[in-house]
Amino acid sequence: MSKQAESEALHLRARAFVAAFERDDEMPEAFDTLAKDIADFQARNITGYARLRAARKEDIPAVPTDAFKVTRVSVFAEAETPFVFRTSGTTVGARGSHWFRTCETYDLGAVAFGRDVLGVADRTEVLVVGPTPLEQPDSSLVHMIGTFVDTLATAATVEDTYFISDGVLDVVALDDRVARLLMSSAKNTIVLGTSLAFALLLEAFGEAKFRMPEGTRVMQTGGFKGRTLEFDAAKLRRDLARAFCIEESAIISEYGMTELSSQFWETSPNIYAEPPWARVVPVDPETLAPVKYGDVGVARIEDLLNVDSAVAIVTADRVRRVKEGFELLGREAGAPPRGCSIATEEMLGPS
Amino acid sequence: MSGADDVRRVIAAASRVARDASIVPALVASTGLSRQGVELALARHVETSATEEDIASLVAYAGTTKHVHVILSANVFVAAVRAIAIAIIASDRVTVKPSSREPVFAKALVDTLADDRITIGDDSGASEIHVYGRDETIAEVRAAARGVRVRGHGAGMGIAIIGGDLEAAARALAEDVIPFDQRGCLSPRVAYVRGDVEAFGRALFAALETRGREVPRGTLDEAEEAARWCSTIAYAGTLHRGDTCAVGVADVRAIPPASRHVLVRPFPPSLGDDARWVVAVGSDMSPDESRTIAPPHARVLPLGMMQRPPLDGPVDRR
Repeated sequence: MSKQAESEALHLRARAFVAAFERDDEMPEAFDTLAKDIADFQARNITGYARLRAARKEDIPAVPTDAFKVTRVSVFAEAETPFVFRTSGTTVGARGSHWFRTCETYDLGAVAFGRDVLGVADRTEVLVVGPTPLEQPDSSLVHMIGTFVDTLATAATVEDTYFISDGVLDVVALDDRVARLLMSSAKNTIVLGTSLAFALLLEAFGEAKFRMPEGTRVMQTGGFKGRTLEFDAAKLRRDLARAFCIEESAIISEYGMTELSSQFWETSPNIYAEPPWARVVPVDPETLAPVKYGDVGVARIEDLLNVDSAVAIVTADRVRRVKEGFELLGREAGAPPRGCSIATEEMLGPS
Repeated sequence: MSGADDVRRVIAAASRVARDASIVPALVASTGLSRQGVELALARHVETSATEEDIASLVAYAGTTKHVHVILSANVFVAAVRAIAIAIIASDRVTVKPSSREPVFAKALVDTLADDRITIGDDSGASEIHVYGRDETIAEVRAAARGVRVRGHGAGMGIAIIGGDLEAAARALAEDVIPFDQRGCLSPRVAYVRGDVEAFGRALFAALETRGREVPRGTLDEAEEAARWCSTIAYAGTLHRGDTCAVGVADVRAIPPASRHVLVRPFPPSLGDDARWVVAVGSDMSPDESRTIAPPHARVLPLGMMQRPPLDGPVDRR
């Protein structure tokens, strides 16, 4: 079987998980079986993954997110991967890249789980406090939001949907759109945006309030790398709820990253649920071995939709398993390093 | 008393402190280095001599001011010698704030100097502050200084450029990596090798392992970062990992953490923005060739001597 055919077959098996979830059916096969088959496929086709396997003596070693910054993490050559998402960069930081041969599996998974968590049965009004995918084609967040718009939104125009262009928030257009929604008694409006974009919006609002239609839900995502979540996310949530005149519980956070194809959604403050095709395992940051249930570890994330890149990754984010899923604790600053030797993160930016 | 005489007195006091074995246990506790690591630092890396030319250069650098307050960083504890020497040349009143995590050496040096002009104390009345440490610390000091001149010496790293005999270069580079468990701003973290990078990686790993048995690594503060770096290198290239060190061979911008981790890359370096972090370049190439490669502000030192720069000014010339 060719590499392409093998990849396609694995994608189909991964999509079967998504389809089963949408039908509320049993998963078509054991998670571990498909994870191992994808890992075998990746090790056969990515020298680096084979090396990591040998070095760690594990069937499914997790690829550190740093690897996406410094080398190519892909089964396929650049010419065969027309889609690429890049991590946000800092002035000195390297940007990680995640290449895709196809986004179809990514899109199916994102929409299926997002629709379920947001409770969207039919097409609804969607406002995006962010740019169009055309403007930022290399942002996985913008791509995901664009996919939501394509599959969940009513047939509104681009101008009536996206309210940031060239980094500028069009408050007047947003105000006009919301006013029309209020007059039409629209319900169940969904507002999608990145945390950074919402921060921009709150800055534009100042102390002003911006009443949203009844039943509005807000999805906020991204933007906290290298910081503790407790401070930033909680404050943003409070401020957004106040500004939009909605309950804090109507604001749902999404946790995802460029290096993944799956996303996780908040079910209660800082508690996130996984879709059946991905799981988060807290591991010891030094040994990368799973920690005891309830203990804090760094997130090892196994993602069956990452067929052509890395079926398991390890991040620096702290997580803890809880009954409903996992608790996201953000980064730990830790003790400052001794001496005057520069810290790697200082040079490369947070991973 | 001339500035040069003051430098000689500081050097003499430093020599006495370095010979005092009773200080070792306290330094082991405060630095996180192994006993052998502390002994190595005291034996080889305290400035106990300087040429007249170096001293003249140091005096010329120091300038003059009314009151210098010196803020020291942890762990590369011997840095107190150079810092206090510069301060006492510049001023007849020097106050020293040792690192809260490593106050032992600086206090011992000040006590041994027994000079009324140099005391452990705060910065009240300082006309100039010399701060050594992380960039954040320097920024905080600057913000609080309110018009007082601040000379900051921030975080940095060393690199090595290697073009000669690989085995000899590996042994020499190990001598630069081992001291202070690579936590100094002169400590090499990346080696650029002209020739067989894989062979050099193996040779360096062997040299670090050998030397590491004589001078064990102390506390590994960067364990998590080290684990992440090792996995990244295992993916991107070749990883040699032992109990007390790791060497990666990969042509990637993956700067390793301190604590005896070295990345080996092919020569020549393309430092780009990273040049600003480079404080020292260790080299076995000719001075002319080395100078053309090193960033203009960086010290160029022979391999094996990166942790022993001449006492001719601050180690960090940025």
